[in-house]
Amino acid sequence: MAKITVDGTEYETQEGRTILQALDELGILMNGVDIPHYCWHPKLSIDGSCRLCQVEIEGVPKLQIACNTPIKDGMEIRTQTAPVKEAREGVMELLLVNHPLDCPICDQAGECKLQDYAFEYGVEHSRSREPRRAGKKNVDFGPTITFDQERCILCRRCVRFCREVPGTGEIGVFGRGDHSALETFPGLELDNPYSMNVADICPVGALTTKDFRFKIRVWFLEDVPGICTGCSKGCNVWLGTANNKVYRYVPRRNDAVNETWVCDDGRMSYRHIGSADRLDRAMVRGELGVLEVTSVDDAVAAASERLRALVDAKGPGVVGAVASGHGTNEDLEAFVRLLDGLGVENRGLATVQGESDELLVQAEKAANGEGARKLGFGDAAGVLDRLNTGGLEALVVMGHDLLDAQHLGGIEGLERLDTLIVLDSHHSALERVAHVVLPARHAAEKAGHFTNHEGIVQAVAPAVEPAGEAVPEAEAFDRLAAALGVAGEDAA
Amino acid sequence: MLTVPHTTNYLTEHFGDDAFTTLEGYRARGGYEAAKKAISEMSPADVIELVKDSGLQGRGGAGFSAGMKWSFMPTDGDQPSYLVCNADESEPGSYKDRILLERGGHQMLEGILIAAWATQADTTFIYVRGEYAFPADQLDRCVREAYDAGLLGENIFGKGFKHDVVVHRGAGAYICGEETGLLESLEGKKGQPRKKPPFPAQFGAFGMPTTVNNVETFSHVPHIVKNGADWFKGFGTEKSPGTMIFGVSGHVVRPGLYELPMGTPLDEIVFEHAQGVPEGRKVKGVIPGGMSMPILPAGMLDVPMANESLRERKTMLGTGGVMVMDERTCMVRAACVITYFFRDESCGQCTQCREGTGWLNKIVERIERGAGSEGDIELLLDVCGKMEAKTICAFADAAAWPVQGLLRHFREDFEEHVRQKKCPFPESFEL
Amino acid sequence: MVISEEARAAIDGEIARYPRKRGALLPALHLVQKELGHLSPEATREVAEIFELRPVEVMEVISFYNMFHARAGGRHHVYVCTNLPCSLRGARGLLKSLEAHLGIEAGETTSDGRITLDHEECLGACGYAPMLRVDETYHEDLDEARAKEILDALE
Ligand SMILES: Cc1cc2nc3c(=O)[nH]c(=O)nc-3n(C[C@H](O)[C@H](O)[C@H](O)COP(=O)(O)O)c2cc1C
Ligand code: SF4
Ligand code: SF4
Ligand code: SF4
Ligand code: FES
Repeated sequence: MAKITVDGTEYETQEGRTILQALDELGILMNGVDIPHYCWHPKLSIDGSCRLCQVEIEGVPKLQIACNTPIKDGMEIRTQTAPVKEAREGVMELLLVNHPLDCPICDQAGECKLQDYAFEYGVEHSRSREPRRAGKKNVDFGPTITFDQERCILCRRCVRFCREVPGTGEIGVFGRGDHSALETFPGLELDNPYSMNVADICPVGALTTKDFRFKIRVWFLEDVPGICTGCSKGCNVWLGTANNKVYRYVPRRNDAVNETWVCDDGRMSYRHIGSADRLDRAMVRGELGVLEVTSVDDAVAAASERLRALVDAKGPGVVGAVASGHGTNEDLEAFVRLLDGLGVENRGLATVQGESDELLVQAEKAANGEGARKLGFGDAAGVLDRLNTGGLEALVVMGHDLLDAQHLGGIEGLERLDTLIVLDSHHSALERVAHVVLPARHAAEKAGHFTNHEGIVQAVAPAVEPAGEAVPEAEAFDRLAAALGVAGEDAA
Repeated sequence: MLTVPHTTNYLTEHFGDDAFTTLEGYRARGGYEAAKKAISEMSPADVIELVKDSGLQGRGGAGFSAGMKWSFMPTDGDQPSYLVCNADESEPGSYKDRILLERGGHQMLEGILIAAWATQADTTFIYVRGEYAFPADQLDRCVREAYDAGLLGENIFGKGFKHDVVVHRGAGAYICGEETGLLESLEGKKGQPRKKPPFPAQFGAFGMPTTVNNVETFSHVPHIVKNGADWFKGFGTEKSPGTMIFGVSGHVVRPGLYELPMGTPLDEIVFEHAQGVPEGRKVKGVIPGGMSMPILPAGMLDVPMANESLRERKTMLGTGGVMVMDERTCMVRAACVITYFFRDESCGQCTQCREGTGWLNKIVERIERGAGSEGDIELLLDVCGKMEAKTICAFADAAAWPVQGLLRHFREDFEEHVRQKKCPFPESFEL
Repeated sequence: MVISEEARAAIDGEIARYPRKRGALLPALHLVQKELGHLSPEATREVAEIFELRPVEVMEVISFYNMFHARAGGRHHVYVCTNLPCSLRGARGLLKSLEAHLGIEAGETTSDGRITLDHEECLGACGYAPMLRVDETYHEDLDEARAKEILDALE
């Protein structure tokens, strides 16, 4: 333990940290204690080059950079004195000497640390009358990222990120002095599963994702906290929303889960939220043998009737249930209540397994497989065996992961079911054989919890209005249970 | 060809003699006796004490006590430790290390060997600037000779002491003279100075404890061991003992290298040794210690060449590179050349240095073109202030100081450009 | 493979002199450049492979140092130091006259591929100004006539 004093307030911190690290750990950096910084990033190695984070330390004649100065017991740090402010203004003005200040046409405007600090530290432009250094514009760095050399302040965050996080190291700083510039090696572009994080950590608008470029000005976006549902990591994200639409995911820091990163696939999965293939109406297979759009109430009634008839005639042993890792714990609990009420024991979980890596990406491509397993849903294989051997006549399915090659591989085998009830957020081939289809909400549209692969439980809350008439699966199950007359007291 | 004009002194005494560059010739003049004495008769601590006592200051620019620096090296520890000989000499106006390599390779190697004994270092890396191909070839030969004679390698002087020397050639970047830029470059990286902490004495070359000294610093060491601290203190001033090789360049009759006691007055160097400005012209200003050091006007040359006295005139000894400018010289043009150099050579890491060097250069070039305006001089000073004492290494300071010096003593040159909207010095050196 | 076996062997020899492989990167780049004239992307890739580095890291190093050339130049590289000590003694005039003599500007290569001419920062010849560095050799205490003679003698 070391005691430090910052602007007169005493704090207890761990030894072996630099000043910025300690303040970050205490949660007060830029949140009570203002030490502006560009090159330092909590999850990257220390660079110490932007020189913005200078502070005064009692007994030390020169200003010191807070990012690289180790804490010592009894250290007295001052962050708002005249020399500190002067040093900051100096850095800001010098950074602006060659900066185009094209904020009105810059995609970063609104979340640019150059713009913010320039405003905050009172240097809105430099006094330079010299021609600015010309740089390359719109450089194609790879499939996901565009680079604007004129805006780059050479903080090297992106360079360190690529070397230290995905370990691919595609970017380098070529040359030296005021003629140095970022480049990639000819033929080896910026292309790795985490590439788009460079746009988040770039303090200015030098690196932007091609996906988000010019879609919407950031100040129109409302950032709502949420969870990526791309895999069982459950990375924390901000959903950038406007006009009831999600425009992007950006990582939300959670040191226990995803630090400050998300993978590119996960980041792009925001597109599933408002996608054209959303299932937004309930459907029931009518007399003509085709699915007909109907109300959720009617669909619940139709499902209830079919299940009731079957269970009454043949008992719950002919009913199977396939849960999904896309439901929340609340959804899955409701499913359990329904199945318990009906006495259905054939339960399983279908998720898709894919690639994984050492960093974040998990093989299970669903956010809540772990939650489902914790609620007793084992592998779907047992249920599917029973289906294939003709032991099942009805199936209640969440999502459509069971169509994956790792499970059924298609709809064959489902055709002979007497009753197939599907709850899903997106259209799938299941609809070709389903008897009742209920529209389910996406994680971004409902409240609830996901349990990630390590057992960490994380909450989500609605960020946008649901698609059409989509309901949370929990609600659908509870209504179905009520219609079937198997609802327990609390659920009804 | 290289000539060593005039004053003989202990470092350069035999530089006119080709034999001295060979091991045989060097030994014939008592070479390697000091190393033998240190290794066979003195403990490492004794050697450090002696060098501390001699007051030998680093000759690479900063003037730090060599003995002190050696004493920072850990003596326990089972990891290897290294010495680095800084032969990157790139400070404009400095060319003394070159001759010490070309003509005094064994003298420097002997100094290295003694320092290695004192610090119990395993290997010395000699970082020679890439352009010094001939000096490096000479040095390579000396190193081979020393290995062949058992003066390097295993069991030196039969005392079980082992030391290796690796000659490393740079590739053209001034900043590799800064000791941590040098270490990065030695490790095969861009020569971008390291942030401190950690310091080289704990985490230096290849992550091991390391001491960096200049070529000339090492070259003094055999003489100190041979003749004693008091002998050494007999040269120079009380605070700055020994001799130094001053390199005189620019508008003088006899440019060249002069080994003289520290504290020799600058005007003596310029007017007596270098014989003043040709054709009876007057001196306008003199940069006393390599281009990073602030200039002195003609009226301030009566100053001993030692840090303690030069500091009073707001400049420093640096590398002892004395650049003389005659009365025709346009100091704005000088500023153009100086700021261009620093702009070109900044490693580019620190904001103030990367952007400041470029800005300074653009402003002075504009003034020289006749497009300067009223506030420019204040702006230059302000930019210098923003660069000073705030960066990873002292390069940014070194870039600001000469501009401050020029404005301190030759402000009217700048003002005149602004007023006349052109360069008022048609006779000045060409840009 | 653009780097010869001989050069590779020499690089291995350099690597053996350093506590860590990468220490030999500058010597290796010197060797390769000597052999190939410049450090092309292919050569850079091969060096990167030898040192188990990413090509971009080697490229960064090449781009940092004045003596490494990523692009092909003339058979001879001629530099005029134009730093202050040399400029005070007429180096810039000398450079201009050499530009005129060769019909190129500093930074360019003669059309016959013979000479690349450029200015340089201080080369440590301040007392013998003006000077030329021709490939690895210094020529000092020059005047225009002597400098032109030196250039004309280059193959
Ligand atoms: C920008 C810069 C350039 C330097 N260049 C050199 C150099 O070329 N040679 C040198 O010996 N020291 C140079 N130094 C000083 C070194 O950092 C270091 O202090 C010196 O090599 C230590 O040796 P000494 O104590 O024997 O002088 C430079 C320092 C700076 C800041
Ligand atoms: S592109 Fe952005 S993150 Fe990368 S160095 Fe430039 S400013 Fe920093
Ligand atoms: S690692 Fe998984 S949870 Fe994280 S962003 Fe990628 S897909 Fe989403
Ligand atoms: S002061 Fe200049 S040369 Fe030194 S590290 Fe910073 S940018 Fe590089
Ligand atoms: S944040 Fe400390 S130097 Fe950049």
